Amino acid sequence: MPGPGRIVYTQDGDLGDNKRLATLSLFLIVHQALNPMAAEQTPSVASTASARSPLYEASTQYRHWRFSPEQLAHTRTTLNEAAVKVIRDAFEADSPGTSADVSFLDADEELLLVKLYASKVSQFCGHFRFPEEVEATAVTYLKRFYLKNTVMDWHPKNVMLTTLFLATKTTNHPIALEHFAAHIPRTSPSDVVDIEFLVAQSLGFDFAVWHTHRALWGLWLDLQALPDIDLNELRKAYDIALAHVRASRLTDAELIYAPSQIALACMSLASPGLASAWARAKCSSPGSTPGSPSDSSSPTPDTAMLQLLEPIKNMILTQGSPPEVEAVREVDRRLKLCKNPEKIVGSNAYNKKREEQERKAAEKRTRKAAQIRKAMADGDPFGSELGDQMLVDDDDDDDD
Amino acid sequence: MTSRGWLRGTTVRKGGASSSSNTTRNSTPQIQSTSTTVFGGGVKDPSGRTSEYFSMDDQCPVCKSDRYLNPKLRLLVSACYHKMCESCIDRLFTLGPAPCPICNKTLRKLAFTPQTFEDLDVEKEVAVRRRIAKDFNKRQEDFADNRAYNDYLEEVEDIAFNLINGIDIPQTEARIAQYKIENAAIIEDNLRKEEQYAQYLKEHEEAERLEREQRAEELRKLEEAERLEREQGRQELIDKLETSDKDVKKLIARSRAEAAKRVAARTSSSLQRNTPGFLRSRPTRSTAIPDVPHVPIQDDWYAYEDKFTLRKDYDDPVSEAVRRDREGIMRAGGYTIEEAWERALRFAVAGLDLQPLQGLQSQISPADQDAAMASA
Repeated sequence: MPGPGRIVYTQDGDLGDNKRLATLSLFLIVHQALNPMAAEQTPSVASTASARSPLYEASTQYRHWRFSPEQLAHTRTTLNEAAVKVIRDAFEADSPGTSADVSFLDADEELLLVKLYASKVSQFCGHFRFPEEVEATAVTYLKRFYLKNTVMDWHPKNVMLTTLFLATKTTNHPIALEHFAAHIPRTSPSDVVDIEFLVAQSLGFDFAVWHTHRALWGLWLDLQALPDIDLNELRKAYDIALAHVRASRLTDAELIYAPSQIALACMSLASPGLASAWARAKCSSPGSTPGSPSDSSSPTPDTAMLQLLEPIKNMILTQGSPPEVEAVREVDRRLKLCKNPEKIVGSNAYNKKREEQERKAAEKRTRKAAQIRKAMADGDPFGSELGDQMLVDDDDDDDD
Repeated sequence: MTSRGWLRGTTVRKGGASSSSNTTRNSTPQIQSTSTTVFGGGVKDPSGRTSEYFSMDDQCPVCKSDRYLNPKLRLLVSACYHKMCESCIDRLFTLGPAPCPICNKTLRKLAFTPQTFEDLDVEKEVAVRRRIAKDFNKRQEDFADNRAYNDYLEEVEDIAFNLINGIDIPQTEARIAQYKIENAAIIEDNLRKEEQYAQYLKEHEEAERLEREQRAEELRKLEEAERLEREQGRQELIDKLETSDKDVKKLIARSRAEAAKRVAARTSSSLQRNTPGFLRSRPTRSTAIPDVPHVPIQDDWYAYEDKFTLRKDYDDPVSEAVRRDREGIMRAGGYTIEEAWERALRFAVAGLDLQPLQGLQSQISPADQDAAMASA
C-alpha cells in the first residue's frame, strides 16, 4: 500500500511526480511551520486530528486559493481601486495636476490583459517542449499572482515569463536560465528572475497545484472500468475534453471548483453520455446508498453532481477563448500611460523612490555601525542583550 | 596545628595568629570563627557561627600596621566596605560618628562587621542580596503564569545589580520602597509562610529525632529480652538434658526450632513501621497555555480509497512510452506506473461533491488580507 512518504523517480515528465509531491509536501510542511499565517491555522486542524481531512481538502489549493465568484470580483475591484489610488498619488507627487487626464484600467481590463498572457504561455511551452504540467502550473501561478498584485505595477509580460520559469522548477523540469532567456526575444535573464521572489511570495509559497488535466487523465482511466465501453468513442471524447481543459485554464474555474469537477465538466461537454454514466457509477458505488427508482422526483446524487457542472460548462464555453488581440492592444496602450511611475526604470518617481530607499539603507548602515562601535567601546562586542533595537529596524526590506 | 586548624575550618582560634608568627608567612587564607563580639553581622554558616576571613598579608589601610607588627591585628569592614583595624576603629569612632578616612562617609562604631569573604565585593553582594530577599520574597505560585514570574525575577535582579554596583541608588531605593508599599500584604504573608515552614521543618525534625530515639530504646529492650530468653532456653535445655533420658540430638533440634520461631515473630512485628514522607505541598495555580503538539501530516491519504478501484491494466497512450521501456531507461528506481495511475484516479474523484463557495462572507482568504501588498 503506498503511503504518503513514498518517493518515486522517473525521467518521464508527466508521470514521475510522486517524488515532487513528496518533496513539495515536505516543503509545505516546513513552510507551514515558518509562516505564521499558515501556522495559525495549524491548531484548528490539529484539534480535529481525529477526523483528518481528505487529501484535497488539506491542500493549500483548497485552503488558500478557493473562492466564490463574488469573492473573486470583490478582491479584484478592491485591489484595482487601491492600486489606482496609490498610482494617482505617485503621479501627483511627481508633478501635481497630471493625474486628472490619465484613464486608469479597471478590474475587467486588468483581467483581460492577464488572460491574454495566460494564453501566451502555451506558445512558449510548445517552443520549449515543456510538458503540460509546466504550462498548467505557470498559468495557475499567473492567475494567483494577479489576485494579490495589479497589472499596473507588474506587467504580465514579465510576470508570465517568471511564473513559467518558476513552474519549470517547481514541477521538476528545470532549464538553464540563460537558455530560457536566449530563446525569448528582447529578454535578459534579469527580466525573468528579478521578480521571482516577489512572485513566490505573492503565491504564499504554495507551489503545489492540483491540476485539471491530471484529473481528466484519471477520468479517462476510470471510464475504462465501466462495462461495455467503446474505446474509440472514449478516445475521441478524451481528446475533445482535453481541449476543453486547456480552454478552462483561461477561466476562473480552478479558483472556484475542484479539479475533478472541472475535468468531469469537460468530459460532459465532450460526451454527455459518458460523463453521466460515470457519475451514476460513482454515486451508486458501495460507499454511498444507491438512489432507489421510486423517489425519482427528488434529484439523485448523480444528477445533483451533473447539475453542479452546468456553471462550469457555461464558464468554459463563454470565457474559454483567448481575448481579441485588438481589444487588448487598446488596453495595453492605455496601460503604458497609467503604469505605476515608481516601477518604471528611469522615471522621476522611480529615481526618487530609489534615492529614498538608498537613503534609508545608508541610514540603517550608519546606525548599525555606530551601534557596533559603541558596543566595542563599551567593551561588550556582542551587544548588551537581545534587545529591541536590534530587531526593530528590520522592517524595511522592501520587496519592490 | 595551624594547617590542620584551617582544614577543619571550624576551630575557634580567637586572635590566634600568635603561634603562626613563627611559621612561614604564607598568603593562605585562614578561616576563623569568632564568638559574637561587639561587632555583629557578617555571614553565618549553617551552624550559626561566623567564619571570619583572615590572612597573613593583612594590613590596615589606615594606620598601615600589619600582622608582622601586630599579630593580633583584626580587620573589620565598614558600611561603605572599607577595611580598618580594631585599634583604628576605637581611635576614630569612640567619640561618636565620624567620617570614613577613605571615602568620607559618616560611620558609626557599631556598623562595622567582621569580614567573611576575601573579596569585599562578594561581601557586599551577599549583604545586598540578603537585604533584598527579605522584601522580595514572592514565590512562583504568587504569579499567574511563568512569564510574570520571570519578569519579577528580572526586576529583582535589576535592583540587586543596581545596589551592588551603585547605579541610580536613589531611584532604586525608591523602587524598593514603592514595591514594599504595594506588596506589603504579600510580603507579610510570605514571611509568615516562611516562618511557618521553618517551624514545621523544625517540628518535623524534632519528631523524627524522638522517634529514632524511641526506636533505639525499643531495639535495646528487645535485645535484652532476647538475651534473657536465650539464657532461659539454654538453662531449660541443660535441665532437660540432665533430667530426661531422651535423645540428645532431638532435644537440641527442638529447642533450636523454637528459638528460630521466636526470632521470626519478633522481626516481622518490629519491621512494620511506616515512615511518613513529608513533601512541601503547595497549591499551584497555573494558567499556562497548553502546547499543542505539532502534527506534520494532517491529511488523510486513504480518504478516497472507496471511490475507485485500481485495475491491473489500462489502455493508456499517455504512459505507453514508459510502460514499453523494459530496461527502465526512463524510470528511476521505485517508479511504478500503478502509482501514477492511482494518483490520477485520486485526482479524478477528489472533491467531486464539494459545493462551490457562495457569497462574500464565507471565507476571508489571505488574498484579501494583503491585497494591497504590492501597491504599497
